[in-house]
Amino acid sequence: MAHYKILGQDPYWMNFIGLMVLTVIEVAAVGIELGTTITLAILTVIAIPKFFMIAAIFMHLYGDEDSGILTLTALFPAFFIIIMVLFVGLTHPDAATGLPDWCRPGNYGL
Amino acid sequence: MSGGFALFLFTLAAAFEWGEFMGWVNVPLIFVSLGIVGVGLLVWWRQDWSYGVDGKESMHLWEPKSTGTPFQNIDIRKVALWVFLMSEMMVFTSLFSTYMRYRLGIPNCKTVFNSGDWVEGTAVNCFEPASHLIASSWFHLAPGAINTFALIISSFTIVQALRYAKMKDIDENVRRKKVTRYLGTTWFLAVLFLTLKMIEWFLGFPLPEFMHEFNHGDSTIKSLYAEGYLINADHYQHHYYDTHYLESHGGMDQDTALYAMMQEGTHPGGHMMANIQVSATTFYVTTGTHGAHVFGGIVGLTYMTLKAARGGYTPDNAVSIEYFGLYWHFVDLVWVLVFPFFYLY
Repeated sequence: MAHYKILGQDPYWMNFIGLMVLTVIEVAAVGIELGTTITLAILTVIAIPKFFMIAAIFMHLYGDEDSGILTLTALFPAFFIIIMVLFVGLTHPDAATGLPDWCRPGNYGL
Repeated sequence: MSGGFALFLFTLAAAFEWGEFMGWVNVPLIFVSLGIVGVGLLVWWRQDWSYGVDGKESMHLWEPKSTGTPFQNIDIRKVALWVFLMSEMMVFTSLFSTYMRYRLGIPNCKTVFNSGDWVEGTAVNCFEPASHLIASSWFHLAPGAINTFALIISSFTIVQALRYAKMKDIDENVRRKKVTRYLGTTWFLAVLFLTLKMIEWFLGFPLPEFMHEFNHGDSTIKSLYAEGYLINADHYQHHYYDTHYLESHGGMDQDTALYAMMQEGTHPGGHMMANIQVSATTFYVTTGTHGAHVFGGIVGLTYMTLKAARGGYTPDNAVSIEYFGLYWHFVDLVWVLVFPFFYLY
């Protein structure tokens, strides 16, 4: 359990309230139709702190004796996640077939 | 257990191809994989069960500690759970990557419709995000939004259950009631989550009469199934993509190329038909995988709530709630990403 306080209050309560507030903003941002780009930006900006709030406080990756090594464990797949998102998620569906000739098997030697 | 699940999925996929049973060759392996998962569950259960019974003094404390670097003196179950969660993270990352790849690579149905680059009667291949239907009104969004709050509240209730289970200076009976109440609430919220998901996917829901006017006069909120948002939808039609409907309802966007083309008479307009199999599949597989994790949580919570009701949790064995809590928070964590990018955007 947490041995610290947030603004002098119980961290779990504070985290819970923070998550609820962020979610209300998230839903409201979609409801008031701000346009695709702004909405996506707001959703991304809100999702990141929510992610860390749950991981750090509810999952005890902050403030416990073993938090350090467990955080490193949690970050271990980050490398693979970056590879997947960058080189799979952000490529075009035709990327494999649309490669230039020099990049295809049998043509590596140019 | 992760290996068992992986083997199960591979062998199950090998046993069926396009819905056709491919013979008995893979069936024994399916049972082997289920056996591996079962053994994993039994080991976990044994470690939980080996603690004090009925709230009495712990008789068989057996929580082995890791001895090697870098996890020295950390409970092996805790380390194992974190490694398991990271493998889970990879599963969801692959699903997200797939979603991003197709979402960015296939033209959006709305863009295709507005461009006028389609012919009535011929299905066009495009990406229809589920959010186009789900975020179309507050009513459609309600099940997903309530689910988001339900998961956040459940993350808090599981932490409260752990807090009371670990408290040493309270009456045993008070502890039993508090832990049972919080675990029971978590269970209820998890069941609510899946119920609302079923409503959103398959059932829809009726609106009271005074609300019909806020829903274009319709008396019900249609489910995704009723809207035709299906993994085999190669002839998907929606009134959003019907020029006649838009013209009669004042929905034709005058800034679009389609509007200009229709004014000039260079495009006849009509009802666009779309092949949305890829978009529907990525949506259902990702949210379905998350839903399967919620179901797994319900199974665990059922056991834990019944155990708590019998006074089975004491400060000595409260770690079991902590470890389950890690899994449950992870489920919440994934939803934090699924909800905005699959439901809202």
